[in-house]
Amino acid sequence: MNPLGEKYLRKDFLPFLFCPGCGDGMIVQAFLQAVDDLGCVDDLALTAGIGCSAWIGVYMHVDILKVLHGRAIPAAIGIKATNPSRKVVTFTGDGDCLAIGGNHLLHAARRNIDMTVVMVNNQIYAMTGGQVAPSTVVGSKTQTTPYGNIEKQLDGCKVAIAAGATMVSRWSTAQPKQLTRAFKKALNHKGFSFIEIMSQCPVQTGRYLLGSSSPQFNFQWLKDHCVKEEDPSKWAEIEAQGKIPVGDFLQIEQPEFMEEVARMNQRVKEAQAKGGDR
Amino acid sequence: MKKGRIKVMLGNEACVEAALLAGCRFYGGYPITPATEILEIMSRRLPLVDGLCLQMEDEIAAMVAVVGASWGGTKAMTATSGPGFCLMQEAIRLAVAVEAPCVIVNVQRGGPASGQSTSTAQGDFYQARYGSNGDYSLIVLCPSTAQEMFDHTIKAFNISERFRIPVIILSDEVVGHIREKVFIPDADQLTFVERKKPTVPMEDFVIFKPEENGVPLMPTFNTGYKSPVISQAKSQSGNRGNAKEAAENIHRLVSKIEDHMDEFAEVQVYGDEKAETAFVTFGSVCRAARSAVDMGRDKGLALRSIEVKTVWPFPDDLVRRALAGAKRIVVAEMNLGMLQREIERVIRQPEIKIELFSKIGGIYPQPQEFLRFLEEKR
Amino acid sequence: MKDAEKIEIDRRYCKGCMLCKYICPSDVFEPGQTRSDLDYLMPRVANLENCRVCGLCEMHCPDMCMTVIAKKKRKEKK
Repeated sequence: MNPLGEKYLRKDFLPFLFCPGCGDGMIVQAFLQAVDDLGCVDDLALTAGIGCSAWIGVYMHVDILKVLHGRAIPAAIGIKATNPSRKVVTFTGDGDCLAIGGNHLLHAARRNIDMTVVMVNNQIYAMTGGQVAPSTVVGSKTQTTPYGNIEKQLDGCKVAIAAGATMVSRWSTAQPKQLTRAFKKALNHKGFSFIEIMSQCPVQTGRYLLGSSSPQFNFQWLKDHCVKEEDPSKWAEIEAQGKIPVGDFLQIEQPEFMEEVARMNQRVKEAQAKGGDR
Repeated sequence: MKKGRIKVMLGNEACVEAALLAGCRFYGGYPITPATEILEIMSRRLPLVDGLCLQMEDEIAAMVAVVGASWGGTKAMTATSGPGFCLMQEAIRLAVAVEAPCVIVNVQRGGPASGQSTSTAQGDFYQARYGSNGDYSLIVLCPSTAQEMFDHTIKAFNISERFRIPVIILSDEVVGHIREKVFIPDADQLTFVERKKPTVPMEDFVIFKPEENGVPLMPTFNTGYKSPVISQAKSQSGNRGNAKEAAENIHRLVSKIEDHMDEFAEVQVYGDEKAETAFVTFGSVCRAARSAVDMGRDKGLALRSIEVKTVWPFPDDLVRRALAGAKRIVVAEMNLGMLQREIERVIRQPEIKIELFSKIGGIYPQPQEFLRFLEEKR
Repeated sequence: MKDAEKIEIDRRYCKGCMLCKYICPSDVFEPGQTRSDLDYLMPRVANLENCRVCGLCEMHCPDMCMTVIAKKKRKEKK
């Protein structure tokens, strides 16, 4: 166990249930590195839903509430609302976040609640055996699209930006240093931050869609297909080549929800004390 | 004689009044007739006590946020009606599985599906108990007056903290929307229960290891316990459990409540306790039954009305005792026969047929209909 | 540039994915013959003297099994 693991992992829950070479374990490490650099482990409260990526947070020795499929974001809102000084981070997957949990992503981003949603995108429903996901490439032959996927892909970053997120980044597990940097940025960002992580799934995506279940092949696939491009006007060109733009896409300052709530409560209480209306 | 004040208020308003007194500081909700007043009044009252009322994007988000708030360390509640209650089922059982104290009000309305939004019904009797997947138990209270909306809400928060369980207040449109006198005791006249928290260091604490009464201590997040709280079947350490551990945990979740029913189960009897004819009712129908008993007494009929105040876990012994000596039992409810099945199960006397006075379609039964039923179905 | 004292691979958690070998720029690892506790064939540290303590294997191991320990530099006497 490396020193970072010794310091931060929940030892009695090991080993990681992830498959050999899975990107999820790399995300555990990249996140813990960020937490270690910032020294903020005691302020962390995690939530997660269902799926392989939902287990990322369970192995960290922090408070975690692992709820139902797709519902990690409202759980995070409940935890944040009861103590806004917490650093709330949700680990979710492409199915958990964009399909069943899509509605919750929209509204948490819209509110600009100070929390971080980490969406681990392996372009498939891996835990249940390889079914199509909203993020699966057109034409893919998955367990539920045996004749080829005819649905368009949903881009989580574009959805988050449109819904009002104030920090949006996409990186991959092939770039752990950039990941750690993005995590630190998100943990310090005051507002809704969304980090999409392209992650390798050798056993489902690799085996069924890319032609190989070798961890090295899948890792290399990410290195080859993730191209740093932070200018949205160039994304269409990259996507047309079958590649994925990554980078820090957005970071702006907007009124944060819990601060606005506190301000409103103050105003209302003062008005009531004066005997007036709000 | 308790000190307090009397106010005329809606049943739904009485619920909010009690919740705030009990210490509820988080409300996650969604508008739905006939429960919307609870959300609206909370949105006005919670900011004044530094609480947060959030209208979420749907009922599922509302209930899951309540579970999050509960582990975040706050007393939390939500309210809905039949359709929203259906949506919340998975999340209610999440609260059971992670032992999160919280209160859910279901102000029943006509069903099925969107049904009748502004009419009363009692069709969620079984859904309140069996609406979700798997084996579990929880506690369901049935108010019949605005006063009981108040009293039962205080009780609901207390027993939810005591047993670390979601408590459902199974109200209905009549009780939610009636406007009548409610006595509100001063706060110092009431007892409030808080969840028990661990005091030992984290290394010595096992998150789901129960105390003697079957309920584990509950740490709030970010107080140094680094709790792993998962919705999956678990062992005492919080990790996924093997078959034996999963079964043991389920047994404990059920017995922690059902072995202690004497702490909360309640059945009331109105009228002549020895009368041979007995009505059995829950919720708003209790009131019409009371009037029927009074009307019957005026006509020389001896009647009693059994009012089941805590319908789940079903208080078999209390109901049997209340119905002792009855030769004719009529269950009156606004559904096609749900409480009736429980009475059939509990009173297994072949010579007594458990009759059903069923009124559906949204119109509240009149007292004279009870007497007519007795007459016509003799 | 540093020299490596030792590279520890935690046999309790290694799943034999070989990403350490794949990412290593200095050809330190080879496929090994020992099985980990999880029954996967572990990598072997074949060329420790090549290791420059870049830390890439440690950073990329999906099971956080790798620990690269650098040699302590002896202070040169003037």
